[in-house]
Amino acid sequence: MNRKLKKILLNWKVLLLIIFLIGSIGSLYTRGLTFGIDISGGVALIAQTEEPVDSKTMELVVDSLQKRLNTFGLRDISVEGQGNSIVVVKVANVSSTEEANQLKQVIESQGVFFMEFNGVVFGTGKDITYVGPYEIKSDNSWAVPFRISKSAAEKFAELAKGKAGWPVDMFLDPPINSLLVVPQDVFMTMNGTAFNAGAPDAPPLAARIEKALNITTIMYTNQSATELKEMANGRAIVLAGVPRELYDGLKDMNVSVKYIPSEPSADTTSFVKEILGLYGPYSLGEGLANGVPQTDVQITGRASNRVEAEREAKTVYTVLKSGSLPVKLKVISMEFISPKLGQDFKKQALYAGLAALVAVLLIVYFHYRNWKIAIPVASTSLFEVIIILGIAALIKWNLDLPSIAGIIAAIGTGVDQQVVITDELLGGERSTRITRRAGALKRIGRAFFIIFASAATTIAAMSFLLVYFVGTLKGFAVTTIIGVLIGIFVTRPAYAEVAKYLIGEE
Amino acid sequence: MAKGKTQKPGQTAEVRAKSREKLRFLAEMEPKKMITYPLVVFIVALLLLAVHFPPLGIDLKGGVVVTGEGISANPDQLEKELSGWLGIEAHVESFTSVSGSKGIRVYAPAGTDPQKIIDILKEKYPNADFTHSDVQPTFGEMAKKQGTRAIIFAFIAMAIVVFLFFRNPVSSLAIIFSALSDMIIAVAVMGIFGIQLTTATIAALLMLIGYTVDSNILLTTKLTKRKEYTIEEAYLSAVSTGFTMSTTTLGALLMLWIISTSPVLDNIAAVLIFGLLADFMNTWIFNAGVLRWYLSRGVEL
Repeated sequence: MNRKLKKILLNWKVLLLIIFLIGSIGSLYTRGLTFGIDISGGVALIAQTEEPVDSKTMELVVDSLQKRLNTFGLRDISVEGQGNSIVVVKVANVSSTEEANQLKQVIESQGVFFMEFNGVVFGTGKDITYVGPYEIKSDNSWAVPFRISKSAAEKFAELAKGKAGWPVDMFLDPPINSLLVVPQDVFMTMNGTAFNAGAPDAPPLAARIEKALNITTIMYTNQSATELKEMANGRAIVLAGVPRELYDGLKDMNVSVKYIPSEPSADTTSFVKEILGLYGPYSLGEGLANGVPQTDVQITGRASNRVEAEREAKTVYTVLKSGSLPVKLKVISMEFISPKLGQDFKKQALYAGLAALVAVLLIVYFHYRNWKIAIPVASTSLFEVIIILGIAALIKWNLDLPSIAGIIAAIGTGVDQQVVITDELLGGERSTRITRRAGALKRIGRAFFIIFASAATTIAAMSFLLVYFVGTLKGFAVTTIIGVLIGIFVTRPAYAEVAKYLIGEE
Repeated sequence: MAKGKTQKPGQTAEVRAKSREKLRFLAEMEPKKMITYPLVVFIVALLLLAVHFPPLGIDLKGGVVVTGEGISANPDQLEKELSGWLGIEAHVESFTSVSGSKGIRVYAPAGTDPQKIIDILKEKYPNADFTHSDVQPTFGEMAKKQGTRAIIFAFIAMAIVVFLFFRNPVSSLAIIFSALSDMIIAVAVMGIFGIQLTTATIAALLMLIGYTVDSNILLTTKLTKRKEYTIEEAYLSAVSTGFTMSTTTLGALLMLWIISTSPVLDNIAAVLIFGLLADFMNTWIFNAGVLRWYLSRGVEL
């Protein structure tokens, strides 16, 4: 018996299994398992870009989103671009729904940024190459230094020549290409000098945005929805501070329309800023009006107290930072799992796995009435789980629920195939007792034809999933493929060897 | 070797032989009947799907789910209250977790603010732990498209590999049809039990492709590549292996289904159970019927 045991253990297929097992346990021990958001808790957000983008732009989006979230002091963030329009953001260690919702807002407020002067857009978010830390001086004045691209600097220098004191506007998410309908007082303010930063010669804000962003501002004088639709001429309509009925009327006519209610407490200037996503206007400094392109620029301002200065500087800083997103994102799916609930899932998956293993053991015993078959079958499955987990730990794969489902799938087919091997070995027993080793080999060969055929189909099917699926099912495909590969190359051959010794050759 | 030791495998073979005898009634079926009955079931499943397709889960159609753990409430009453307060059509389900604590799940249409639901529930149950997901219809649309594409491509890939392995139209088509029928029947039964079609259940349907192919390849190989046995003997030996395979997997899945309260794992287990039951019929009755009818005409495969 001892000699036999030694012979089994020294068989290279069994040795391979043992090596894999030891390696997996080592990898599990040293690296540990990492779990997906749906198990460890956290937020998983899937955002879609407003329009499909190329891979370079996607890289930019991912990169700046990562930076932006980092500046918000969040840790354990993973941002991943998938395909041409999907960005998956996962943040671990989020403990409340409020925090989760905040995150969503941060991502969605990742706006499209415009810098405009005298009715001309001279730069967008991608022209901002660097934003420096903001400074606040003792006199409560603040400054945010940033760098713009060479082309933007040249364009700006030309535009701004000799126009010291003129307003520089920055917009985050302005309603471009739209008809803006406002009440009389707002209309007057936008066409007056309130937004001219003290330069009466500069064109008024309404004229600047019309020229730069194709936003036509009109005064509300009881126009009907139909009239407005005609005036918009295919553009979107933005209703700000006008009667709400118009919104419903336009909506019914299938016009793209946005409604911004006026806040009774807010003054007209801040209302205009809210409608347009306007930051500024900032007065153009003398040093920039000489026609010489400068890439290192700064926005300055002064507030009445330090707290206020800090707030203003931080707003500009964040706007500049997040403005480097080339395209707007919309969160289309959001999942928040509280860490406690996730813990419960982990426990359940563990219990369910163990129970399934015991079920396999008992049912296989019931079918063969032989522990010599039941124990190797069940333990092979256990080894398979350990090896899959070991590999997952090694490649730092995040185990989420679909990944666990994939492991279950691999184990399910694994047991099936071990039954095929066992039956092939037993099958010869009845009629061809005389066939010895050659017979066993042939039978095992037949079993492996079946195993390879089904492994090939499973891998083929799963590869499509891996390539074509965006989002959550990737984990499922990955663990299934790992499981099937481990099955055909490591565990099944070893099981066949052991089974051959235990039943085939006796 | 001692005599006592050789007895065990002998015993095992005996047990196997006995269970094989129990399945003999299958071998005595007429091939024609073996083909017709599963076809009838397939058509009934198709009709069922036409009138009652399984509901789409929120990840395929958009919507909001709030899960509260540590809440023991009457779901119907809570449903009425929530619907009244929020002015939406909410649906409430209750569940018990493995550790014995109770919880509820609130389903609401897309566009509802999950925070509002949580705020209301928090007021009533301050100690509960909340989790939510919020899926926009656009994402649902995308997931649906991708899911359909994944199933179609996986199916085609499977069909190609099966053709490459068997290089015979009759046995390959029989396998492909039985895989299709497994899926259709599983989806139809999902509809009957009101199990939602979600990304997780789509994964389960994909898993089904793997399982189906396993048993069918086993059958086809045994019947066609094995010349030393009669067809009936080969069939019996294959069907008893298949029976062992299916019952073992079913047992494991049943455990998974009983223990987990995670809807993802639960639904995957349920769909696989339906599919494996259908597969038993499609492989061991339908596919076997086709092969026996085909082989009885004396053609070499």
